[in-house]
Amino acid sequence: MRSAIKLTKYLKPYMFFTIIAPLMMVLEVAMDLLQPTIMQHIIDDGIANNDTEYVATMFGLMILCAIIGLIGGVGCSIYATKSAVNFATDIRKDLYETITYFSSRNKDHFTLGKLITNITSDVESLQRALTMLLKIFVRGPLTFIGAVIIVFFTARELFPVLLFVVPILAFSIYFFTKISGKLFLKVQEAIDQVNTKVQENLAGIRVVKAYNRKQHQIAQFTSVNGSLMQRNIKAGQIIGILGPLTMFVVNIGIIIALWQGAIKVDNGTIQVGVIVAFINYLMMIMGGLMSSSAVLMNIARAIPSANRIVEVLEETPEIKSARSVETTPLKGEVEFVGVSFAYNEENEPVLKNISFKALPGETIGIIGATGSGKSTLVKLIPRLFEVSKGEIRIDGMSIKKIDIQTLRGAIAFAPQRATLFSKTIEENVKYGKDDANIDEIIESLQSSQAYEFVEKLEAKEKHIITQGATNLSGGQKQRLAMARAFVRKPAILILDDTTSAVDSISESKIQKAIIDNFKESTKFIVSSKISSIRHADQILVLEDGYIVGHGSHDDLMENNKAYQEIVETQLVKGGTLDD
Amino acid sequence: MTNSVQPPTTQNGRPPEARNVLRHPGGRFNGPAEKAKDQKGTIKRIWTYLKNERLGLISAVIYVVFSTILSLLGPLLIGVIIDKYILVNDIDGTIRMVLLLAAIYVAGAILTWMQTFVMIRVSQKTIWKLRQHLFEKFQLLPLSIFDKRQQGDLMSRMTNDIENLNAALSQSVVQIISTILTVIGSAIAMFYLNWILAIVTMLIIPCILWSAKQIIKRSSKNYKAKQRDLGSLNGFVAETISNSDITTLFGKERQTIEQFNIANENLRKSAMRAEIVTGLMGPVNNFINTLGIGIVVGVGALMSINNLVTIGVIASFITYSRQFLRPINQLSNLFNTFQSAIAGAERVFEIIDEEEEPKDLENATSKQKFNGNVEFRKVAFQYNKEKYVLHNISFKAKAGETIALVGPTGSGKTTIIQLLNRFYDVSNGEILIDGINIKNYRLENLRDHIGVVLQDTYLFSGTVRDNIRYGKLDATDEEVEQAAKIAYAHNFIKYLPKRYETMLVSGGMNLSQGQRQLIAIARAILEDPDILILDEATSSVDTMTEVHIQKGLNNLMNGRTSFVIAHRLKTIENADKILVIKDGSILEEGNHESLMNKQGFYANLQNQLHIQE
Repeated sequence: MRSAIKLTKYLKPYMFFTIIAPLMMVLEVAMDLLQPTIMQHIIDDGIANNDTEYVATMFGLMILCAIIGLIGGVGCSIYATKSAVNFATDIRKDLYETITYFSSRNKDHFTLGKLITNITSDVESLQRALTMLLKIFVRGPLTFIGAVIIVFFTARELFPVLLFVVPILAFSIYFFTKISGKLFLKVQEAIDQVNTKVQENLAGIRVVKAYNRKQHQIAQFTSVNGSLMQRNIKAGQIIGILGPLTMFVVNIGIIIALWQGAIKVDNGTIQVGVIVAFINYLMMIMGGLMSSSAVLMNIARAIPSANRIVEVLEETPEIKSARSVETTPLKGEVEFVGVSFAYNEENEPVLKNISFKALPGETIGIIGATGSGKSTLVKLIPRLFEVSKGEIRIDGMSIKKIDIQTLRGAIAFAPQRATLFSKTIEENVKYGKDDANIDEIIESLQSSQAYEFVEKLEAKEKHIITQGATNLSGGQKQRLAMARAFVRKPAILILDDTTSAVDSISESKIQKAIIDNFKESTKFIVSSKISSIRHADQILVLEDGYIVGHGSHDDLMENNKAYQEIVETQLVKGGTLDD
Repeated sequence: MTNSVQPPTTQNGRPPEARNVLRHPGGRFNGPAEKAKDQKGTIKRIWTYLKNERLGLISAVIYVVFSTILSLLGPLLIGVIIDKYILVNDIDGTIRMVLLLAAIYVAGAILTWMQTFVMIRVSQKTIWKLRQHLFEKFQLLPLSIFDKRQQGDLMSRMTNDIENLNAALSQSVVQIISTILTVIGSAIAMFYLNWILAIVTMLIIPCILWSAKQIIKRSSKNYKAKQRDLGSLNGFVAETISNSDITTLFGKERQTIEQFNIANENLRKSAMRAEIVTGLMGPVNNFINTLGIGIVVGVGALMSINNLVTIGVIASFITYSRQFLRPINQLSNLFNTFQSAIAGAERVFEIIDEEEEPKDLENATSKQKFNGNVEFRKVAFQYNKEKYVLHNISFKAKAGETIALVGPTGSGKTTIIQLLNRFYDVSNGEILIDGINIKNYRLENLRDHIGVVLQDTYLFSGTVRDNIRYGKLDATDEEVEQAAKIAYAHNFIKYLPKRYETMLVSGGMNLSQGQRQLIAIARAILEDPDILILDEATSSVDTMTEVHIQKGLNNLMNGRTSFVIAHRLKTIENADKILVIKDGSILEEGNHESLMNKQGFYANLQNQLHIQE
């Protein structure tokens, strides 16, 4: 609830719409409420007195009410929509902006999937809830209260009937709403189980077939499917009571009204039109109660969405640009001074006390087993994460003092997972450098050995990559991701295990291109393969987050056991044979 | 009917009460409803599922008919009570009639609930059977179907399509009957009471239909525009957020946000237009209803003054015209739910009609143990009728031998081994195991004795232990851990928060790919197969770990015929036989030495690697 209140600031610019919508609805409801009273007057005063003129006037009034009601209803609908759509659009905008500036740690905290649902479905459900709140949630209670008040003033003789009917109605609606929440939660659980089973069997169909586990899977599915059916039947049958029950209570109210009404008409205390009007109000009361409870349930469902949105909006972006920022272009001398890093405080650090210095033009090879921290190490340089201890310096300055745009502008980073956008190849490469001309693009495609397959494509560099780049092989994606980095001509080039899916022959060509084209750049090459880093000026051997070896290939071969072990397992026929 | 309303489709996962309680008169739009290609045939097939529940169905229909008739009697009786008893001050008569009315209401309420009670059981049981049938069908389909159809497509048939049918069965069927009955019944009652007033009420219907049509026409156009903008915005969000590290690294935050804002503003405009038009439906319907009742009362009053109609009849008319007008608004909604449910059912039947994996031959044999002599005789294979991906593959593997398959990506290595456990069946030629064509074995028996570790391994949600045990369902905990130790998986499992009891999410996505592969290897080790297939089983494992697993794998491969697709030279070199596959044919065959001496394709690849190192 608190988070819902926090989001009200997004309503401020649309305060007019937000206030006018319920007011318009008041108009519609008021007109709806007037109708039975007018009807009553037509019957009791018009017909009873045979006053044609009076009937005609009242009839005109009724039409007028209907038109005013229409204006109110349409107005409410328009303003409620304006308020809700604008509200949701603005929240979506802020959310996207906030998420775009998140650091990797921020993103890991929420996970990417959740952030995506946040922008897509959470905002949608919030918009729906607000529309309902402004339309129906005003309509329901207002109709209810209005009808009760009118009955009190115009049909006071029959008011006691309400004292009997309304509490029963209210209680049964409350009771069934509560039960239905619980029952449908159970149904939901069963649905989730069924969905998981189906999804797993589709995704893992090869495993199921290979292991001949058809019967096993069917048995598991039969049990979840059966429990879904049971829960659905139970929920449906219990909740199905509500409709007939409320209708029945209202009908009992009508019966009492007729019975008591007959006595009172006989006494001459009321006229028959009052009974007719009362029956109409009773229907309105029921409708009002039912729709309010339904809206309440929907709004309750939107609250978790609001909570999730506020949580994201209030997350403090971890990386901030320093105040006195340095914007002079960087040369690329990188130094780690006693750097440690942990993803969160409780966990063991992933990197421990890392120190080394890389001069411009040098190549730094980083090798180690999966989970040794080599990838994390290079991610600290463009400040994807902030170091926990120690300092990273570029050109002698702490990277925290360098303007973040300047820092990242000087770095070209090709990440392990080669993610591309669903645009043309040319546009993807240009992502590295906005004003790159076609020659530069082709040159970098050639350096990354991507041009050989791009050339064969029908549209060449205008070829459009599908979402998730499903039409490219892993090696092709890596080559394009490298081209995107190469085109930047950066001071610092970082390749984070980017040749794992590239065959050995192409890899050696790429290595040669890097040496030729990036003489001045500081180059970091992360790999688990010796062949990728053996020619580096400095090699860092990582194990469990520590540097356990530091030196050139020859040095390490001579005096480093960890390195020798890796070499032994790989160089002796450890190469890969592929296309 | 193509451009009309459809009620909010219940995406699987949203409780059904959200869909029927909360509808401002008129409902929401979800774009045009789609139609089944063969509506009649599909309805007939739905009937084959419903047939078993026909007793329930018939009783539900009877309940509906009676409860509808009772609900029509109510207003009639109220009118009579007012005219014949209250207005003439007959209190005793009133009480008698009121008790009769009460009895009608009690019976009506009970019948209405009974109808829900029975119908939910009918529809749920039917849906259960359909869901079960579809799932079992999934298990029987050949892999080619899963290649052809996207996973999301199959998933949506199981969830959305079946859920739509559920909604239609549990609600629409009954509602359509009761709505039609109510409309007809109200009309009869109204004409019976007073034909002039009845005609006045009927005049309002064309107005409703016309206005609804106008709104729907505009709405579905705007709705499509909104869906399009929403789709492209969601697509943009999914892609840029998944790739947001790239955005950060290349400093493209500003640019991405600007692009997002354009999409967001487009959506603001189109959503506004769509929602506003849609929102008109409610108030307009409300207006027509109020107007209709107003006209009935007004005309009725004027007639009453001239003694053409009684007050009680007016009171009855108010209720009837309400009962009469509301369902007309709903009817087109209902028909649409119904129609899209049938279209959904047709999609489900489409899968159920797919051809299954070939059945076992009548005299198919089973074996307790395979020796592992494998022979391919002139095997050719095509995935679809156009192009052969394998031509004339012939080779022999003796029991206990290790066969390595080498060749460029896409050369057909994986296809060859997928023919062995009959993931696909050969198009020409034959495959023999222990001298018998594999088609003559029972399929289950064959697959039971062939162990496979796939390139893209899949783990199920459940504990690590459950996943390893998948290889042998009755394995003890000790056997599971033993297998994990041999596969070198124990080494990382012991560091997991709950060790073997650690829960994995679907696909095992909370483990690294290397770790997933180790579990898959442990699973194969536990299965203890006679023939083993390793398809790039160690490709995602780093070299250090691979050395350790290799020992485990060597133990496993010892004494069994093994087929290995690998790209690391060491694994290949030790093989008894190497098959070099290129463009779907065997290019070279021999062991490492003989192939090196031959100076062909294999030797060339090897040499290139050596030069590089």
